[in-house]
Amino acid sequence: MIRELGALTRRELLRLGRNPQAIITSLLLPLLYVLLFGQGFNGFTKGVPPNELALLVNGSPTYFSYFAAGMVGFVAVTATLFIGANVIFDKLFGILKRVSSTPATSFTIFGSRLLAGVIQPIGLAFFVLGLAIGIGHLGLSGLTVTAAVGVVGAGEIVLAIVILSVMFASLFLAIGFSIEQPQSYFAVVNAINLPVLLTSAALYPWGGMPHWLQTIAAYNPVTLAVEVIRLNLFAGAGPFYPYAAWYYLLGLLAWAAAMILLATVLAGRALAPKR
Amino acid sequence: MQDGDRGSIRAEHLSKTYNGSVHAVKSVDFEVRPGEVYGFLGPNGAGKTTTVGMLTAGLQATSGSAFVDGLNVAREPESVKRRIGVVFQESTADNDLTGRETLELAAALYSVPRAEVRRRVEFLLEQMQIGDAADRLAKTYSGGMRRRLELAFGIVHSPRILFLDEPTLGLDPQGRAGFWRYVLQLRKEHGMTIFVTTHYLEEADGMCERIAIIDHGTIAASGTPSELKDRLGGDIVTVRPVAGAAPAQEMLTHIAGVSAVTEQDGAYRLKCANGETLVPEVVAACVRAGIGLQAVSVKRPSLDEVFLEFTGREFREDEGMSATDRAVLLGRVRNQMGGRR
Ligand SMILES: Nc1ncnc2c1ncn2[C@@H]1O[C@H](COP(=O)(O)OP(=O)(O)OP(=O)(O)O)[C@@H](O)[C@H]1O
Ligand SMILES: [Mg+2]
Repeated sequence: MIRELGALTRRELLRLGRNPQAIITSLLLPLLYVLLFGQGFNGFTKGVPPNELALLVNGSPTYFSYFAAGMVGFVAVTATLFIGANVIFDKLFGILKRVSSTPATSFTIFGSRLLAGVIQPIGLAFFVLGLAIGIGHLGLSGLTVTAAVGVVGAGEIVLAIVILSVMFASLFLAIGFSIEQPQSYFAVVNAINLPVLLTSAALYPWGGMPHWLQTIAAYNPVTLAVEVIRLNLFAGAGPFYPYAAWYYLLGLLAWAAAMILLATVLAGRALAPKR
Repeated sequence: MQDGDRGSIRAEHLSKTYNGSVHAVKSVDFEVRPGEVYGFLGPNGAGKTTTVGMLTAGLQATSGSAFVDGLNVAREPESVKRRIGVVFQESTADNDLTGRETLELAAALYSVPRAEVRRRVEFLLEQMQIGDAADRLAKTYSGGMRRRLELAFGIVHSPRILFLDEPTLGLDPQGRAGFWRYVLQLRKEHGMTIFVTTHYLEEADGMCERIAIIDHGTIAASGTPSELKDRLGGDIVTVRPVAGAAPAQEMLTHIAGVSAVTEQDGAYRLKCANGETLVPEVVAACVRAGIGLQAVSVKRPSLDEVFLEFTGREFREDEGMSATDRAVLLGRVRNQMGGRR
């Protein structure tokens, strides 16, 4: 099982390495968000007194800092989109049929795609984090870290990004295994992607959100991951985050477990003898 | 598993109905003995690929059972997959891997002992004549090279039973001959059982020890190629009278040496022991009866004739989207997308 998993993961990584354009285009979205969108929107909070701003963005020093932490989470989500699409292309090209004719189990096939698939989103999330911090030193609005981030805090941030990537990679793999046509895949995925973003606290200043939206957002996995990042970068154990980071991480883990389960079942069904 | 079942394949009332309405395979029974090369011969859409799918745990049978290497395929699909090799009709080569990487992957998936992988992969690349292209991406391979790479994938673990679904589709005659030379050599070395589907009559005739003729999802006849030809009762003389001639079946039946006469599209097919010596008799008889002749021909029985005999039709292509059509279509899609992937 380990050997099969290793061999199939290697295949996925080789393919990723041989299609660098996919990696390059995936950099485009975060660049746009951080260099344009974030810069533009940061202006909204100009002139807001610091104590009021703190209430709006949960103790972050600027809206951009708040937003950039949100983008770190959201980018990890969008970068997992293509993993499911690759499953569909592999179906069309008979590659999945080939692999499922071997003794490799469906869990191994799913697992290899998950392992190889989360590398890019995780890398991209840290790229955004680095970029957001870096451009602050170039005279643009940047992400300013205001809390003392210890080893534990850094570990929590890494964990949040990893679990979030695993969760959405599993979800999109589950969809990829159950859908036959690329068009339908992208339709379904778009119907998930935007609502997830827009019901999360990735973009909106938390303090300005209507209560009902806050309630929904509180359970959104993107929010859970992003809060772990903000909590560690800006607030420490301040009044804006009533819960400790592990509390959010646990919620995120529950989401991930549910999606892995879903993907395992759907991959098993897709790779079983056809009815 | 009983020892006698080692390397055998058995189908019992095996049926497949797609979407509740397409009866692709209808209660098929057959048995392939260990070490045998068994051919499934049939036109497009006959149900060959569907049968292979059910035998290799890729497709669920609607009813009936399949046993491979003594194992019930529906009950123990994983164990079956471990013991067999499959070469699909459509191309399944991975564009983004090199030939060598493809076979290394296959070796890992089939649990080839690690110490042997290198040697085995090297040997197969050499045998399949893709050694020079071993480190090139499969997307740069020709159709024939892809086909050979897929065969190598199917046999990397020296399976006891090998399923080949139209393995020589798209190969030139030379490639076809090379392919078979290698498969038969493999069989000699490993004592493999080989189940092969084809719609090339010559291929079934020349390569298979026994064949089953499948048409519209049922087996019309089976046996060794020579048995099947013998069942035709010798040569076939085809007599085609001019249009509008009087019925001649009765008259032809009475010619000495003719064992049977059937009519087909305005021509008569006469079975006889020796066609060449019969022709003068037939011509003379027709002249006597005042029946003008358009043509008379003699055929040694071929599988063509066998097919006609047992299905009542010429070997023909079916309507509807067959697996061959799908393979061709997919090939086109693949080519179009090749650049982008
Ligand atoms: N997935 C499917 N859904 C519905 N019908 C199918 C499906 N696959 C095959 N069929 C139908 O079942 C019949 C048998 O198809 P099959 O592919 O087994 O034929 P074949 O003998 O392999 O033909 P070919 O020589 O073209 O490969 C055909 O009528 C085909 O249209
Ligand atoms: Mg077929």
